[in-house]
Amino acid sequence: MPEKLVKTRGIVKGLSEGPALVCKKAFSFLGDVDMDTGVIIAKGHEHEGESIAGKVMIYPETKGSSGGCVVLMSLAKMGKQPAAIILSKPADPNIVEGAILAEVALVCEPEVDLIELIPNGSIVRVDGSAGAVTWTDE
Amino acid sequence: MTPAHDFSLHGTPGHEYKMKLTDEEKKMLDGVYGDPIAKALDYLVQFGEAFDAEKFIDITYAFYPAEMSIYKGSVEDVVEYAETGARVKVPTATSTLACDLEQWNKYGVPEPIYKLQSQVVDAHKKMGICGTYTCTPQLCGFIPPKRSNIISVESSAIIYYNSVLGARTNRGGVFTRFSAVTGKYPLMGYLLDENRKGTHLFNVNLTPDEFRDDSDYSALGFHAGNIVGSEVPVFDNLGIPTETNLLALGAALATSGSVTLFHAPPHTAEVNSIEEAFQGSEPKEIHEVTLDDIKNAYDKMTNIGTGEKIDFVEIGCPHYNLDQIRYVAEWFRENNVKVHPDVRLWVTTSRMIKQLATWEGYTSMIEAAGGLVITDTCPVESHMRISTCNEFGLKVPQIVAMVTDSAKMARYVGDLIGCKTGFRRLDDCLKCAVEGRFI
Repeated sequence: MPEKLVKTRGIVKGLSEGPALVCKKAFSFLGDVDMDTGVIIAKGHEHEGESIAGKVMIYPETKGSSGGCVVLMSLAKMGKQPAAIILSKPADPNIVEGAILAEVALVCEPEVDLIELIPNGSIVRVDGSAGAVTWTDE
Repeated sequence: MTPAHDFSLHGTPGHEYKMKLTDEEKKMLDGVYGDPIAKALDYLVQFGEAFDAEKFIDITYAFYPAEMSIYKGSVEDVVEYAETGARVKVPTATSTLACDLEQWNKYGVPEPIYKLQSQVVDAHKKMGICGTYTCTPQLCGFIPPKRSNIISVESSAIIYYNSVLGARTNRGGVFTRFSAVTGKYPLMGYLLDENRKGTHLFNVNLTPDEFRDDSDYSALGFHAGNIVGSEVPVFDNLGIPTETNLLALGAALATSGSVTLFHAPPHTAEVNSIEEAFQGSEPKEIHEVTLDDIKNAYDKMTNIGTGEKIDFVEIGCPHYNLDQIRYVAEWFRENNVKVHPDVRLWVTTSRMIKQLATWEGYTSMIEAAGGLVITDTCPVESHMRISTCNEFGLKVPQIVAMVTDSAKMARYVGDLIGCKTGFRRLDDCLKCAVEGRFI
């Protein structure tokens, strides 16, 4: 099983590992996820009913109100925050503030499209300082 | 907001900062001014480095997000933070709350929301923050001059400060607290000249009768914001706008788009001419604004049919000034009419402006007509918000149809309160309040 490595832009430091939760559409922390449980509650979301806790979330960009930052902090207080976040597009200030305070490693703008490349559920390692994303192909 | 364990950069051996730091900033990070300051600046370093900021600049003012009890954990967080002894280093005003702290029991605010919310006042005082609790802090004397670097929350205040006053701010978030206690903000975004260049030109050639009210400017802002997204619109031939006209224009631009800055030379502070606004380059797009564009904006924000029953009229988004309140009070007296018994009329403003309105007799005139002058909050930030209803076990929806003179309010009530909306000029809003029907 070869290990794969992709370079990204490291935004918020932290070394973490978890199963990939790959979302094809923009994600909003305000409204898409339950603040207490970390379960995705957005109607019709491809992962509706699944938890983001401990997952490496991979999605194009963050959408929605600045309240999303507060949600990420609340999730961290309950221990339900994601392990790391990988964004395809440049990170917006709001998600960066939330990730710094929630201590969630965050990287963005990978050199190749990880949404297509990483299968949902694979174990992914993220190094937020170096901007490195590694995973093993099953 | 304070993490359970320290993970600051300055504790990491061999860590090299990408940002250029002054000796004073290094001292702050080393804990010379205490742990809260060290942590606050450390967060700002991480934030600045994420956006390739070269260095920090000193800010002269912070407009701070008052912790609202409708966001879980928010009030508890500031109460806990105030205990650290951290105090703001620059004059700091506060944005809105989830309820009017004085009149909460006059309009059905559940006691738990009020009790939780009221705890922020002491916390803010402890930190040296001025409890203005309004989205129009400029009306309470917080008027940073042109070219001053500041940090502000609240999209309508951000765009007013940047555009009308020519101060410089990005869209502040929860990190505004860390800037307030350190007096620092990373040099980036709208603090830099090159990002303040106009992108789109809007030529507004409308007659004073067609284009006059604050709500007309609000409709224009809504129209233009949809076109420019997050870029910098420039308006030509606005006529002779008042400060409330420009406030309404900005609030709407920041609603349909995420506009942070606009120019309307020579009325806005930064530039004197259209050429100067574009810093010598050509506009990306030029748009002629027609009366249809204004009418379409009113229609887009309206889904109540003519003659349908309405049960809420909200005016004062952004928070009204004294003259706007005077107009409403005198309108009811001169027309010798009262608010329909099935309708709630809210005139939202800051506590300072309300004091003046009360001294002038306007508050009692509006109350005699059946309306309320509400401070500190607005409908979409109140207990009437759907998410708040769910959390506190309240009945949803409490409102069927709301009429307002603000495109911003009209845009958000649909989603956040779940009622129908009508966007109209102020006089028509007041007529709706009297009739109890949409006209």
